[in-house]
Parts: sequence; structure tokens; C-alpha cells
Amino acid sequence: MHQVILDRLEEFISGSPSSREFTAHLESCEECRAEVQEMKELSGALSALRAPEEFAPSPGFYTQVSRRVEAHRPRSLWRWVWLDPTFGRRVAFASLMTLAILGSYLITRETEYSAGPPRPEAVIAQQAPADNPDMILATLASYEP
Amino acid sequence: MGTLTGALPLPAFGSRAAVKTRVEYQNTVEGALVRRAQDGDEAAFREIVERYQSKVFSIIHGIVRQRNDVEDIAQQVFAKVYFSIRNFDFRSSLITWIYKITVNECFDYLRKKKVRKLVYESDLSEDEVRRVENTEPPVDRQAPADETLARHDYVVKLLTRVSEEERTLLMLKEVEGHSVEELAEMTGMNENTIKVKLFRARQKLVKAAYRLDRTPGLVAG
Repeated sequence: MHQVILDRLEEFISGSPSSREFTAHLESCEECRAEVQEMKELSGALSALRAPEEFAPSPGFYTQVSRRVEAHRPRSLWRWVWLDPTFGRRVAFASLMTLAILGSYLITRETEYSAGPPRPEAVIAQQAPADNPDMILATLASYEP
Repeated sequence: MGTLTGALPLPAFGSRAAVKTRVEYQNTVEGALVRRAQDGDEAAFREIVERYQSKVFSIIHGIVRQRNDVEDIAQQVFAKVYFSIRNFDFRSSLITWIYKITVNECFDYLRKKKVRKLVYESDLSEDEVRRVENTEPPVDRQAPADETLARHDYVVKLLTRVSEEERTLLMLKEVEGHSVEELAEMTGMNENTIKVKLFRARQKLVKAAYRLDRTPGLVAG
């Protein structure tokens, strides 16, 4: 099918007025004319799928839907611990956060312990000022790594 | 203007209003309703059911003429809506999405019913029936008792030969009466894409019609 027909095919099938270009091509091109005619006829046939009459749902329809949903609901792991799935997820999240915080705290403490005893310069710096050389010598003599 | 807009009390998607973006749609009253349903709000889901149940019944009854089966299929549709609502991405309107689910459920139902009937009437197993179905296109050689019903069954048979997306688009266009512009708004696709998809779908229908040993001229008669 040629592009000039393809561009306006849906409008033509719907019954909208066609452009002069469209009409002229359809008159001159047998292939496009035949194809468009077949498509238009089948398009009309599709209207057979319109509901023949109104069909209202029964009053208890939503209840039936709910029952069907419950019957097909996948089993949740949380059912085994009698927890509401949403509540269960919150408990799991809170537990993970607690573990993460505790773990960070423990790792930080371990880092402090593994640093070892303070170096002599640090001890000296904390103690008496530098104008007391005897103190400095005593500190250095008593230092044990 | 199409018939689906009648189901919506909100600014109609079939109107000539500016095209709504996904973000704009999420910020509408219906978008908020969908988000509540996605969060598990049962009242929101109930509102969706009550809002669209009549339309769903109408769609199903158009495809599946047995009244006994219409309500059963409708329950299945809304159960599917319930379990799939979290996957709804606001790319199309809610009613378009529900429409697609409804049409697919109808054709699934018809396909299973046909297989069950053939299994019952023949000595073949389900697998063997499916193999026969796939290799040999069914040909209706008997004169129809009721022309309307025959035409209906014929169209349903043709529509099994196109993809789910093409089937939905064709039905929205021809059964619901929406324009290409309205389809673009409803589906989130651009108009040229819709035109191409519709054209391909129509080509498949024509091909299927020939394979079913009927010419399109007979159908329109």
C-alpha cells in the first residue's frame, strides 16, 4: 500500500472526508483500491463485537471478586509467624537498622582498641610543659611499647 | 468520540484536551486512586471495580455471548487487575489498561473452551488437540443458522490471528469508536505508531479471512 493511502487510511475507514490526493490515488491504483476495500469491509464486521444489550453486574459482584482474590492470593512467608506482611516488613527493616547501628558502634570501638598505647610524644604533650626536662626524661624512661 | 469516555466521570481521555503526560495523569484524581490501590488500599480497589464493572461487563458480553460466563470472566478480570495494579505504569489510562486485560481474558477463555470441547468430543488429549489446532486452520463449511451469530463468531476467529496489542487497538478503534488521536492519548503511543500498528493488524485480518476460505465481500454482505 502506498504511503499516501497509509497516511489517511484510518480516517477513510472511519468515514471522514478524504483528501483529493487520497481519492485520486485510489482511483488510479488498483492494488491500493482492492486492499482498502477489503480492510473497510472487515472493519465494518468488527462492529459485531458490540454488546447486543446492556448487562448489569449483580449486586454482590464485588464480594465475588474479593473471594476470588483471596482464593488466588499467594501465600506470604509472614503468615508462618502470624504477622501482617506490612507489619512484618517493618519489623525486619527496624531489626536491620538496629544491627547496622550496633555493628557500626562495635567496629568503631574496635578501631580505638587496635590503635595501641599512646606514643611517648603524645604522653609528653599531655603532661607538664617542655621547660621540665626531668619530667620528660622520666616519661621516656618509663615508656613501654 | 469513543464509548470508553462515558465510563469516566473525570476529564475524558477521549476529549480534545491537551495530551496528558504520565506525570500529569498521576496527579489527577484517578491517578491518586490508582496509587492508593497500588499501596494496598482495599477501598481504592473497590472504587475501581465499581467504577468500571459495567464497562467490563459490556466488553465481555460483546465478545462472549454466553451470559452465564460473562460474570465469571469479569471476576477474573478484576482479580487480575488486583494482582497486577502495582505493574501499572501510568503510560496509558487506567480504563485502557483494564480494557486490554478484559479483551485478553475473553480470548483466553474462548481458546480454553474450544480446546476443552475438542478434548471432550474427540479421543485426543489436550496436547494433541493443540497440535491439530496450530497446524490446520479451522474452516467453517456449514451454512450459518443465525447470520448475526455467524458473523460474530467469524470476527472472533479472525481476531485470534493478531497479537494482543493489535487486537486491543482494533477493538478500541472499531468497536468503541475512538479516533487515532484519542487512541494516542489513551495508550501513550504517538499517532504514527498507532496508524502503522492498525495497518499491520488490518493486513493480518485480511490474510486470515482468506485462509478461513471466505472473501471479505461475503462478510460484509
